[in-house]
Amino acid sequence: MEISTQDGERSMAEIMKSGTLEKLAQAVLEGAAEDAKRLTEKALSESLPPNTVLVEGLSAGMTVVGGLFRRNEMFIPEVLLSARAMRFGMEVLRPLLAETGAKPVGKVILGTVAGDLHDIGKDIVHMMLEGAGFQVFNLGINVEAHKFIEAFQEHKAPVIALSALLSTTMPQQKAVIEAFEKAGLRGEVKILIGGAPVTQEYADKIGADGFAPDAASAVLKAKELLGIS
Amino acid sequence: MAIKHQQPDLVPLFIRYVGAVSSKLSRIHGIAGRDLEIKLGNDGVIVQIGINAEYSHKVVPDGERWTSEWGVTYEGMRGISQPVDHPLKEPDVSGYIWPDPHKPERMAEIKQAMARYHSDYAVMVDLSCTFLEAGYAHLRGMEKFMMDLHLSRDFACQVLDGLNTYYTALGVHAIEQGIDIIRIGDDIAGQNGMLVPPKLWRELVKPRMESMIHAFRKANPNIIVKYHSCGDFSAIIPDLIDLGVDFIGTMQPCGQQVDMAAIKAKYGDKLAFLGGLDTQQLLPNGSPEEVREAVKDVLRSYAPGGGYVFMPGHYVNLDVPLENVWALLSAVHDYRRYPLNFD
Ligand code: B12
Repeated sequence: MEISTQDGERSMAEIMKSGTLEKLAQAVLEGAAEDAKRLTEKALSESLPPNTVLVEGLSAGMTVVGGLFRRNEMFIPEVLLSARAMRFGMEVLRPLLAETGAKPVGKVILGTVAGDLHDIGKDIVHMMLEGAGFQVFNLGINVEAHKFIEAFQEHKAPVIALSALLSTTMPQQKAVIEAFEKAGLRGEVKILIGGAPVTQEYADKIGADGFAPDAASAVLKAKELLGIS
Repeated sequence: MAIKHQQPDLVPLFIRYVGAVSSKLSRIHGIAGRDLEIKLGNDGVIVQIGINAEYSHKVVPDGERWTSEWGVTYEGMRGISQPVDHPLKEPDVSGYIWPDPHKPERMAEIKQAMARYHSDYAVMVDLSCTFLEAGYAHLRGMEKFMMDLHLSRDFACQVLDGLNTYYTALGVHAIEQGIDIIRIGDDIAGQNGMLVPPKLWRELVKPRMESMIHAFRKANPNIIVKYHSCGDFSAIIPDLIDLGVDFIGTMQPCGQQVDMAAIKAKYGDKLAFLGGLDTQQLLPNGSPEEVREAVKDVLRSYAPGGGYVFMPGHYVNLDVPLENVWALLSAVHDYRRYPLNFD
């Protein structure tokens, strides 16, 4: 697999410097779940801090995956395998991260809007956000506007990410924004939208805070909205 | 004739309307179904059979669930049924009972359409959701089936084989009814390219499609083989040519397919095209003038020399204002005559 270093992604050369974290990133990239788990354990046994293992191992791998996917050099089946590998590693890390009090980079509530059941694009956004250290509350498909409000009240996640794949369900993204306005909560959240027919122009028109055309960009955009570099 | 690369006198039309839109139009015209589509100018009719046919036009109340003969559970969602539960919970087909493609009643609708329309119109039979799409959207679920392609390759191949056996037999029966066009439909692409790697598609789907098309041509050497995928599937167009496909659509104008003239220049001598007009932005949100210009643009790109049938990139959906439906129809009627003239 050829890897380029566009867009500020880490180059493969950098990742391949050898060492456990580099191998871990590589295992994620290759979707080798058992290896990812084993290498996560190994990195921890080498006394690397759990957060470093997350950022420089699992997340580093997922960042490369996101870039390759965006450039059509990687496709859905392989992205799913990479995410699965990342999750194998995360299983090991999660209790330790909790113990050390490490906080997620940010929290995002994500869902496909009402009337729409296209889910794989949204799920890949989920995986990339998770890979970048976000905590994601995935409400699934066909999610009515009020469910986003309820989820916000419960989880207090400052980013609401809405997927719509149909021109007929895009107006639901607007409906969610209006629901937050009506509930007096619009000032507390950033609304990020996406999905095949969605454009920046549409985001501007409905007063969304951000748009991203693909999952890797969604991560950058979520960070930007939260002021994280 | 258009599909055989001869220039007919008019660009043929084949516009599809989702159920709710056809009900609206039906109230205006006082007729329904295929008669309505013909009345609105279509030059052919389509009969869908197979896994997709059972659900895609079935209207059930919102929230109501029903299970198909394939064991897939669908739920009514804003006027259409959608797959919500899949029969292959584990990567194992051993206990799965495939529907029988030889049941004579499966040909009933085709027989009716042949009797009513074939003397004047082309009849196309659509084997919709033929391979990967049947696996991911219906039998197994998207995430699972996509991963099965690697993690449970044997299982995925058995699913594809089961589908191949079923659809080959069903397609051959359809061809024996004397139809003009057989359509293999498999959504394998999204907005910017393939859902699965082209290489994997070549490994898993292409050989199965090859044997299927072989059987179709054996049943009728002159059958027109159409291939459909949504999204940008330009990466596999050369493979479709290898397979002897005659006609491709829906040519959603996204990804590499935005450059319609380039696609026509590259493949127009080997393939006929269907589709091309944007249904994602233009039809719902454009002005009637913009729709008119876009129709001209599509015709200018795809229609020269024949080998093109007009259709938008998908069904005309409920969000398309009726003014735009009229603009669309009047523009195609104004500009579909050969020699093409766009003044
Ligand atoms: C697969 C598919 C289906 C599958 C869905 C299976 C599933 N479990 O998801 C099935 C077969 C069930 C299906 C059904 C339908 N579909 Co469909 N489908 C597609 C198809 C072919 C690919 C979509 C996809 O999965 N892409 C791959 C993923 C990875 O890409 P993505 O979703 O775009 O997501 C990426 C970005 O958009 C972005 N992103 C996505 N969400 C978000 C969210 C945020 C916050 C951000 C920042 C970014 C972001 O990041 C993702 C990853 O990079 C598209 C074709 C197309 N052009 O996209 C049609 C398409 C979307 N479908 C369409 C239609 C019309 C339908 C149906 C109505 C058909 C019918 N009559 O039944 C139904 C509707 C069902 C419903 N109520 O939702 C039309 C919509 C046209 C329009 N006017 O908008 C399309 C465009 C096809 C076409 N030819 O026009 N479909």
